[in-house]
Amino acid sequence: MQAAAADAGGPAGGADNSREGQGQGQGGCGGLCSAGTEAAVAGAAPRVPRPQHAPGPGGDALSTTGRPETRTHIFALGVPFPSQLEAEIACASLAPDREPHGGIVEKQLTVTDSVLAVRWRAENSRLLRISIINFLDQLSLVIRTMQRFGPPVSR
Amino acid sequence: MPAVLGFEGSANKIGVGVVRDGAVLANPRRTYVTPPGTGFLPGDTARHHRAVILDLLQEALTEAGLTSQDIDCIAYTKGPGMGAPLVSVAVVARTVAQLWNKPLLGVNHCIGHIEMGRLITGATSPTVLYVSGGNTQVIAYSEHRYRIFGETIDIAVGNCLDRFARVLKISNDPSPGYNIEQMAKRGKKLVELPYTVKGMDVSFSGILSFIEDVAQRMLATGECTPEDLCFSLQETVFAMLVEITERAMAHCGSQEALIVGGVGCNLRLQEMMETMCQERGARLFATDERFCIDNGAMIAQAGWEMFRAGHRTPLSDSGITQRYRTDEVEVTWRD
Repeated sequence: MQAAAADAGGPAGGADNSREGQGQGQGGCGGLCSAGTEAAVAGAAPRVPRPQHAPGPGGDALSTTGRPETRTHIFALGVPFPSQLEAEIACASLAPDREPHGGIVEKQLTVTDSVLAVRWRAENSRLLRISIINFLDQLSLVIRTMQRFGPPVSR
Repeated sequence: MPAVLGFEGSANKIGVGVVRDGAVLANPRRTYVTPPGTGFLPGDTARHHRAVILDLLQEALTEAGLTSQDIDCIAYTKGPGMGAPLVSVAVVARTVAQLWNKPLLGVNHCIGHIEMGRLITGATSPTVLYVSGGNTQVIAYSEHRYRIFGETIDIAVGNCLDRFARVLKISNDPSPGYNIEQMAKRGKKLVELPYTVKGMDVSFSGILSFIEDVAQRMLATGECTPEDLCFSLQETVFAMLVEITERAMAHCGSQEALIVGGVGCNLRLQEMMETMCQERGARLFATDERFCIDNGAMIAQAGWEMFRAGHRTPLSDSGITQRYRTDEVEVTWRD
C-alpha cells in the first residue's frame, strides 16, 4: 500500500494520487487486486482559536477553560477490483454495518468503474485508526471469499 | 424443497450449517477457547472467526454433498451478539449471496435456537427457557411473536458461570460451563448463596459478586472445596431458572417446556427442570450439544422457515445489530 505525502488541506491531492501506480503489481491480494491498494492521508486543520478570558471580579487566578481543539481527519482508500461487478459486490458486503461510537467516525463507500473508494471522516485519531484497521481486516476477508468462492455467476 | 445455508458467529463459536426440509445436512463448528482465567474479547474472537470461516463453509457444502447452485438462500445471524464477530460472519454471507446470486436472510439468534429446538424435539407449543452465555429468557409463542415472559435483569446465567470459572481458573476447554458441571458432580457441601428471583425475572450479578468475594476466603480457610462452590452455584442459579419457567408455564397453562441455548446442555439443569415438569404433569424437551450450543444449522433452520414464509433481507438492511429483541421479529410462519 502506498501512502501519498500528506498535503495540508488535501483531499484533492489524495484523490489524484490514488490513480497513480495502478500498474505496479504490488500483489498481496493475489489476482484480484494486482496493483495493491493506495491510501492517501490528509489532516485538515480548521483550528478553533482559544477564547480570551477577562479576569473575574476580585482578580482571582483563572484556569483556562478554552474549548478543546477539534481537528477533522480525512483518510481515503482506493481498492481496485478486476471488474465493476466485483467492486460493487465488495461494496455491498462492507457498507451495511454501522460504525460504533455514534458518529465520531464516519465512512462512505462508493464504486467508480472497478475501484471501491472508501473515505473516512473522524474527529478522533485513535478511533479512526481502529476503524481503518477493522475495515482492512473485513476487506481482506471479503477478498478471500471472492477468490475462493467466486467468480460471480452470470446474472 | 429449499436448501438453506446458515452462518452463526455471534459469540466464540463459529458454525456453518445446511438444512433442507427439516433435515440437517451439515453442521460443522469451531470454538475460540481462551486460556483459563480469561474470557473472549470481541476483536480476538472476530480474528478467529475470519481465519476459519471459509474452511467451515467448504466443509459444510462438502458434507451436505451440495454445490453453491443447490443452495436456495443464505441465512446469517443479524444479532444479537458481539459486534466484530457478527460483522466478520455477515460480510461472508453477503459476499456469497451476491457471488451466487441467492437471496439473503438476517436471522435473530434467539429465534434460531427456538426453531432448532422445535425441529429437533418436535415440541408443539412449549414454554422455552433460553439460557446461554449471552442470553437468559423465558419465551412463549403468542400471536406471531415469540414473547419474552421473563428474563435476566442484568447478566445471563451462562455469563455468571463463565466469569465464576475465571475466578477459579477453571479451563475453558471445551467450555467453562461444561467443566463447572463436571466439578459440581463431586461437590458435597451446599454453600448458601444469594437467590434472586424478581417476579418473572432473575438477576445474577449479585450472586456473581458474592461468590467472587467469598470464593478466595472460603477456599483459603478450607471451609469448602472448589467442587462445593461449583455445586452450590449450579443448584442456586438453576433453581432460580426453574422457578421463573414454572411461573410462565402456570400463566400460559403450558404442558411443554423446552430448554435451548448452551447452558441447556447441562444435565443437572435438565434434571431439575424434569422434576418440576413431572410435578405439573408437563413434558420436558431438550437437545444435545450439537444443537444447544450455538451452531450454523439453527440459523439455517430459522432461515428456512422465514424463506418459505416470504421474508427477505435486502443488502442495505442487512447490517448487524448487537441488540435484537426476540419479540421484534414477526413470526409469520406459525399460526
